[in-house]
Amino acid sequence: MPLTSTTWFNSYFTSGNYDEMFTPEMGIRPPWKALFSAFKAFGTEGLNARQRDMDWLLYENGVTYNVYNDPKGMNRPWDLNLVPFVLQEKEWKTLAEGLQQRATLLDLVLKDVYGKRHLIQDGIVPHEVIYGHRGFLRQCSGIAYNTEKMLSIYAADVSRGTDGRLWVVNDRTEAPSGMGYALENRYTSQRVLPELFAQMAIKPLSNFLEQLDQLLVSASPEPKDNPNIVILTPGSHNETYFEHAYLASYFGYRLVQGNDLVVRDGFLWMKSLKGLKKVDVVLRRVDDAYVDSLELREDSQLGVVGLLDVVRRKNVSVINPVGSAVMENPGLIPFMPAIANYFLKQELLLPQIASWWCGQNKEKQYVLDNLPQLVVKRIDRTNRESIHFGEFMTAAELEQLKKEINARPYRFVAQERIHFSTAPNLNGSGIEPRNTVARAFAIAMGDNYNIMPGGLVRVAPDRDTIRVSNQRGGTNKDFWVLEEGPVSQVPILQKYHKRDIVASGLDDLPSLTAENLYWAGRYVGRTLMTARYLRMVFRQMAVQPDANEHTSSVKLRALFESVTQVTGTYPGFVGDEEVTTKAFENPKAELLSVMGDKTRAGSLGHTIEMFGNSYYAIRNLWSSDMWRVFKSIQRVWRGFEADKTPTINDCIKTLDQLITRLIAFMGLVEESIMVQQGLLLYFIGLQLEQSMLTITKCRSLLTVKQEGHVEYELLEYLLASHESLNIYRYSYRSYIQMEQVMDLLLFDVQYPRSLAFMLNRLHKDVSRLPHSKSAHQLYGYQKHIFEAFSRVRLADKLELMKIDEEAGPLRHQMDAFFDDLSDLLHQASRTLSAVYFNHTQKRRQLVNPSFPI
Amino acid sequence: MIFNLTHSTEYTYSAQVSHGHNIGILRPRVAQGQELLDFEVQILPEPSEQSERIDFFGNHITRFSLQTPHKILKVVTKSRIKRNFGAFHQAYQTDACQKVTLSVALQSLQRLDPDILEARQYLLESIFIRRANEEIRQYAATSFHPERSIFDATYELMQRIYTDFDFVPGFTTISTPLVEVMEHRKGVCQDFAQIAIACIRAVGLPARYVSGYIETLPPEGQEKLVGADASHAWFSLFIPDFGWVDFDPTNNQLPIDQHIVVGWGRDYYDVPPLKGVVYGSGNSKLKVAVDITREE
Repeated sequence: MPLTSTTWFNSYFTSGNYDEMFTPEMGIRPPWKALFSAFKAFGTEGLNARQRDMDWLLYENGVTYNVYNDPKGMNRPWDLNLVPFVLQEKEWKTLAEGLQQRATLLDLVLKDVYGKRHLIQDGIVPHEVIYGHRGFLRQCSGIAYNTEKMLSIYAADVSRGTDGRLWVVNDRTEAPSGMGYALENRYTSQRVLPELFAQMAIKPLSNFLEQLDQLLVSASPEPKDNPNIVILTPGSHNETYFEHAYLASYFGYRLVQGNDLVVRDGFLWMKSLKGLKKVDVVLRRVDDAYVDSLELREDSQLGVVGLLDVVRRKNVSVINPVGSAVMENPGLIPFMPAIANYFLKQELLLPQIASWWCGQNKEKQYVLDNLPQLVVKRIDRTNRESIHFGEFMTAAELEQLKKEINARPYRFVAQERIHFSTAPNLNGSGIEPRNTVARAFAIAMGDNYNIMPGGLVRVAPDRDTIRVSNQRGGTNKDFWVLEEGPVSQVPILQKYHKRDIVASGLDDLPSLTAENLYWAGRYVGRTLMTARYLRMVFRQMAVQPDANEHTSSVKLRALFESVTQVTGTYPGFVGDEEVTTKAFENPKAELLSVMGDKTRAGSLGHTIEMFGNSYYAIRNLWSSDMWRVFKSIQRVWRGFEADKTPTINDCIKTLDQLITRLIAFMGLVEESIMVQQGLLLYFIGLQLEQSMLTITKCRSLLTVKQEGHVEYELLEYLLASHESLNIYRYSYRSYIQMEQVMDLLLFDVQYPRSLAFMLNRLHKDVSRLPHSKSAHQLYGYQKHIFEAFSRVRLADKLELMKIDEEAGPLRHQMDAFFDDLSDLLHQASRTLSAVYFNHTQKRRQLVNPSFPI
Repeated sequence: MIFNLTHSTEYTYSAQVSHGHNIGILRPRVAQGQELLDFEVQILPEPSEQSERIDFFGNHITRFSLQTPHKILKVVTKSRIKRNFGAFHQAYQTDACQKVTLSVALQSLQRLDPDILEARQYLLESIFIRRANEEIRQYAATSFHPERSIFDATYELMQRIYTDFDFVPGFTTISTPLVEVMEHRKGVCQDFAQIAIACIRAVGLPARYVSGYIETLPPEGQEKLVGADASHAWFSLFIPDFGWVDFDPTNNQLPIDQHIVVGWGRDYYDVPPLKGVVYGSGNSKLKVAVDITREE
């Protein structure tokens, strides 16, 4: 059905509010005209198709956000609506000037409250508005900064009021989020609506990003061309972790957590593989109170002990400075006109919502008398959950609120309830009006601020909702500023910035990242080997016609025991009869548990989960192709988990799909990550894990001598689980023999799946690690790996195969051989961790109080 | 009167500590009737770096970092202090101190002159002293009336806390909520000071927390024991147009010269003697000794 203006009207008009696109007379406002006709040409179907492209692109790129305590889980897909928010450049300029003024004022207020506090002394701002705000950190008083502006990054939530002007709704100063999402929104809409970008003069965002980079570079305590800039994130569970990782990879900054950093000698250092590397600038996404557990919240694990003192000495710049949360303060709103006059002798350019601070008697009385018509907020809690909408409250709730206001009046501000404008939103069947809030961004540049020509526009989750927040789930829009002149040729926004990350090299790799890569390698290896092994066992179960027949039962028994040994899911099939009877009575149930029970350490489900965790923790390194494959691995796995009664064939099918995807994933890892970015660590983890599991597998199937035909078949299974059966047949063209199987799987230095090959490679890889280079002697972990490699090279297979007939079927020498190898590799793993990943050292408070600041 | 004061804090760890960062308010500040003649701090092991600064409330903060592995941390401060509080104490007898009623004080607190503004921050809630509950309000209301002198009312409040509360070391820790102290009527000096502050703030007056030392005198005829003196805490009431007046509810007295001030803040949180974060596993044992001698 073609989209005509009639269908727009039909579904569109509901309220008398200001609408961004339509005039009250149903005319289309000028900035929207070009967009409207283009959309008309697309038709409903065309629009929906583009929306699907958009969803797909975001999904492919792994754009997500997290919602705390959300049953739908982490990493929810980002929801971008096809219809952008459009502003004419002329109006945007007015907004930009207003934002520049407001940022300038807030910067002056921030400097004043942490400095001489003239505003309080001169009676411009009541002291309770500052001292009574939990974001006012007395520890930060009197600090001098390296940057001219104290407020380096500022964000404002802006909405259009009924008078048609753009109003400031909220100030964001602590660690404003959204810039990364705004970038991704633009990148996506350029890809999905290329013809509109060619026809309409949409202001590009790229300059603004350059400026952000400049801001951080120039914030360095000592002028440097290439200062060490890090993004401090609370970790992968934070709601905007995607953005932290995104900005880090866009600009080539290191993404670090508190544990990656340490304070020594009055400077801030990043723990890297090589050792400590000085940090110049921190773009901070950890909240104020959590950044230093020495001086601020004692219970915080997210920050760096002693950071504040490094800032105080001007040896590092933290952007925005610790303590800036006090500017997220609706208590300041009523005093902003006086502040503007005090500092700049100006009127405020942007309108604010009428607000009454209850710390003043007259204002408080007004608020108490008019509570049902007002919106009440605490001066220091501006998140949606702490806002009271008088009109929706019962009499009892209003009474309670009155009590709270009377008890601590200075904490509360009441605001007029505003009907903000609506903007068109595509909803699948048409276009409907939704309330929107735009987040605009400002960054300090010289003595003024630069405003992003765009921003992040958030849309209410449904037509009737007035509260807008991503934390509650909601849609977003790209924000287009239309230039007056002709369309200028603007380069498409590049996804990745060209900063030379290679120059910094492996030595500077944060040790937490290195550890995550190492574990990613280990878990990928473990997942693959476990999946292959289980698949081999399931296949045998599927083809054995009669499990009670002697040969079959001996074989299967040996295989089942080896499953427990390879996965380490003891007791399982191993141990005394009383323990294992249950498993042997129903081997399928036990195997299903080894496959699917993720609460069981060693199970495939558990390993996949660990693999997922290590993947998320370093997602800034992965490419979008890898993200796609990773998602499909998860999809396969979730499909299996949803199946309550899988048959053996279902298991085999799942494992087949899993294995193919894992191999694709491993191939992508090798081609997408550079060695200097830490690929080496991934390889070390992978080779180490595969070596260890090869040893366990061979030990489990080879050390006990079996009857001839049983042994023959077990050898065949071993080869099959190692994906080496064809190679064996090709190389030896013979009956399967123990000696030759050992040659192929253990001793052949040319064959990439053999233990000798893997250990040799491991030996070469670890010698490239920073500490290996420094000494003439081999470093601890090198010794262990080299020794393991030598033992394999020097082994005499006939000796290993020897058996003492009287002592039973165990090949003692072989067992000892595998035991030693296994020990050596475990020691290597421990030494590697101790040398390179030792950042998790326990820290604790001398005195142990726990209380909120 | 001149005092020589030694304050030693010793942490013994069960396992080696590789490094640590510490801050503490150790250097006594200059205060009404108090001068600091000499001060030194000795830290073992030798800190890799050490600095001093003045905090928001005007206290001296000592900060140091340890980078040598150690099992014992010992911090010893030696101060030489001149106390001459007598003259100010005399002024308590004046009308300016004695005759300010609650209603007059509340009126004066509306003004914006610097002293009043400075004092008003001690009216607000603080980290350890949240808004008083009904029980604390009732307790305060017994002593404070609009037309009664706030000096008299506070004096009575001090006496009542002294009588009603038992001094029981170990019953509370620094993070025991005030309501619990109020309910059980047990605690130590910082609890009593904080209860008093909560009461005074509940009636709308500024009160601050004072941390310091107290010289203990041996019973008649006995030798004074080394280390018998102690860290101590009390509170201070702001009387508009007069100043800050100290009260010690633990000893039921108005401090004169035996109370040596180290620092003050809104509550204990603002003036911890020594705190820190250490890297290492295991537990720690704390030993504190304070010794005050008079210079002849």
